[in-house]
Amino acid sequence: MNWYQHHETVDQLAAAYVLGTLQGPARRRFEALITRKTLLRLAVDDWTGRLAPMLTALPPVEPSPALWKAVAERTAVQDSAKPVPLWRRIFSAIPAGALAMGVMVGVLAPALWNAQLGGDPQAQLPASYVGVLGTAEGKPGLIVSSLRHGKSIDVKQVVAVPVPQGMQLHLWRIDTEGRVLPLGPIPSGKWVQVPLPEPAERLFAQAVELAVSIERVDDKPVAPQLPFVYRGLCGKLWK
Amino acid sequence: MSAAAADTVEQLMGRVALRDHSAFKVLFDHTASRLLAVASRVLLDRAQAEDVVQDVFVKLWNQAVQRTPSQPCTLAWMCVVTRNMAIDHLRKRRPETPLQWVDADGDEHQHDVADAQYSPMEQLLAHEDGARLGSCLKRLEPEPRQAVLFAFYEGLSHIQIAQRMQKPLGTIKAWTRRSLMRLKGCMEACA
Repeated sequence: MNWYQHHETVDQLAAAYVLGTLQGPARRRFEALITRKTLLRLAVDDWTGRLAPMLTALPPVEPSPALWKAVAERTAVQDSAKPVPLWRRIFSAIPAGALAMGVMVGVLAPALWNAQLGGDPQAQLPASYVGVLGTAEGKPGLIVSSLRHGKSIDVKQVVAVPVPQGMQLHLWRIDTEGRVLPLGPIPSGKWVQVPLPEPAERLFAQAVELAVSIERVDDKPVAPQLPFVYRGLCGKLWK
Repeated sequence: MSAAAADTVEQLMGRVALRDHSAFKVLFDHTASRLLAVASRVLLDRAQAEDVVQDVFVKLWNQAVQRTPSQPCTLAWMCVVTRNMAIDHLRKRRPETPLQWVDADGDEHQHDVADAQYSPMEQLLAHEDGARLGSCLKRLEPEPRQAVLFAFYEGLSHIQIAQRMQKPLGTIKAWTRRSLMRLKGCMEACA
């Protein structure tokens, strides 16, 4: 049995890690494993929660005005008073876990896909766009794919969301500027193919994320009217 | 910070992941004073503490998108991140400030925990969320407890704690390991 499967050892190492006495190469090895081993991460989370009151109990110290200015400059946050765009207000209705999951899966899926191909140098998937979208509960929910120059998308619903009568799922793309543009309705179903109004390359080239909201059947919304029920990164599967 | 406010941190971080600048500013306003308290406690230097907190927020902003849903996203987590970065900062500067030194006037100085008015124990016991931990810490023997506090607040290694407390290295290792497990047992029993 590896040490990281031994609960007591993991607990002691996690405690030392959070306390700060695990140092040097041991700390680096431990940190590398935290991201891959659930038991380690949970143990670290436990100890973080256990010891954190030693930090959160400290009396607050008001920062100088220069601190935010410096942070804003380094993060290029120029205008914090700028109104929040509609799509961001809609996003904010989705729990952070779901948002992060969508991003994570969106990033990981293409990488994993490529990694699998790596085992067989002869295997080549056609150049495609793939979006792996998470649900509001933070689970993988919807996979959207299209050939790079295809004229249709394949949509696989991993986790279905209830769509009220008179409503339908509506697919959106989000570009690098944060603009949300409609791609059109998609039927509910475990696996559906939907024709595209334009070649995929034209529709998805600028997309960094895809999202799905529920909209009225008769509407042709130019912006989401209801919160997104799926959301995730849009990946390009070609070199 | 209350549980509701802690939820706010989680939600704000979700919006920060979407590059929502206004949410980032709100997150800063909610948490900067707490993080600065942590960094100040570790570094005992206001200017350097502000530098560390600045780095923390820049890191939060830059890495927000890469966070996984399973990672905790609370004020407690932010405090631990801040403490770790403050300790890293401390370790970089530490060679310049020995544990004990004599200044030009011949006065002896010792780098030590802050004075009694900043006693972590008192602050813990007075704090609603920290009362249980404070109570359990209080049940530890004084020297093992001090070893834990040296490690946690000052980022001292086992060897450095041994030097500071003038005890064998093995004793310090045993103290910290046993103290942590006793803390865990005590806190679970009090839950």
